[in-house]
Amino acid sequence: MTGRAAVRHWRAQRVSALALIFLVLWLVASLLAHLGADRAQVQAWLGQPIPAVLVAALVVVAFFHLALGVRVVLEDYVHTPWRLTTALMANHVACGALALIALAAIATLAFGW
Amino acid sequence: MTPAERPLSPHLQIYKPQLTSVLSITHRGTGLALGIGAIFFVWWLSGAAWSDACFRAAQAFWGSWLGKLFLLGWTFSLFFHLLNGIRHLLWDIGFGFDLPTAYRTGWTVVAFSVLLTLFAFGGGLYAWGSP
Repeated sequence: MTGRAAVRHWRAQRVSALALIFLVLWLVASLLAHLGADRAQVQAWLGQPIPAVLVAALVVVAFFHLALGVRVVLEDYVHTPWRLTTALMANHVACGALALIALAAIATLAFGW
Repeated sequence: MTPAERPLSPHLQIYKPQLTSVLSITHRGTGLALGIGAIFFVWWLSGAAWSDACFRAAQAFWGSWLGKLFLLGWTFSLFFHLLNGIRHLLWDIGFGFDLPTAYRTGWTVVAFSVLLTLFAFGGGLYAWGSP
């Protein structure tokens, strides 16, 4: 990765990091408050609008930040071009799919589908 | 004259570990560990949304000996990556890049990561044991 793409990557990594500082601290506090919660309690928690929106924001930003980070690791350690291309694509597909599954789960809980 | 066969620098086998390099690789390692943790988090969320069996399996895992060990690892990874990430952001705006400050902030990150991990994980275990 060179030039403008690299600058965009650098900036995206840091902007997502800033957002994650707050989202992650909120998540740790929330999870500690819900230790041992059964399924009904988790459903009740994510049935409220603010927790649902914050968890949704967290998974989107976190998987975005993860995809950016894993990309740098792959670029450092995978030296065969076709292997690198494949690995980078797998990274984006996996992070995107996980974020989508999480969003669908949150929507199910939030709207009581 | 034939050049001497010597390792290229920086070569891991001859490179003396220092706080700065160890924390750098730990930042990467904890980031990857948190990625694995995020997959488990999605597993738990999916269970809560769609499947009793899946949710109970996730709950049973957190309750197990191995699950608690994983949670301890993720708790440390989270606080370390968070604090060291803030250290990186401060470097980006030009603060603390000189060696003495980098060492001081490095040890601060280590100390607070351990403290916050003990506090959150210990508090969590305590609260879990006595609901």
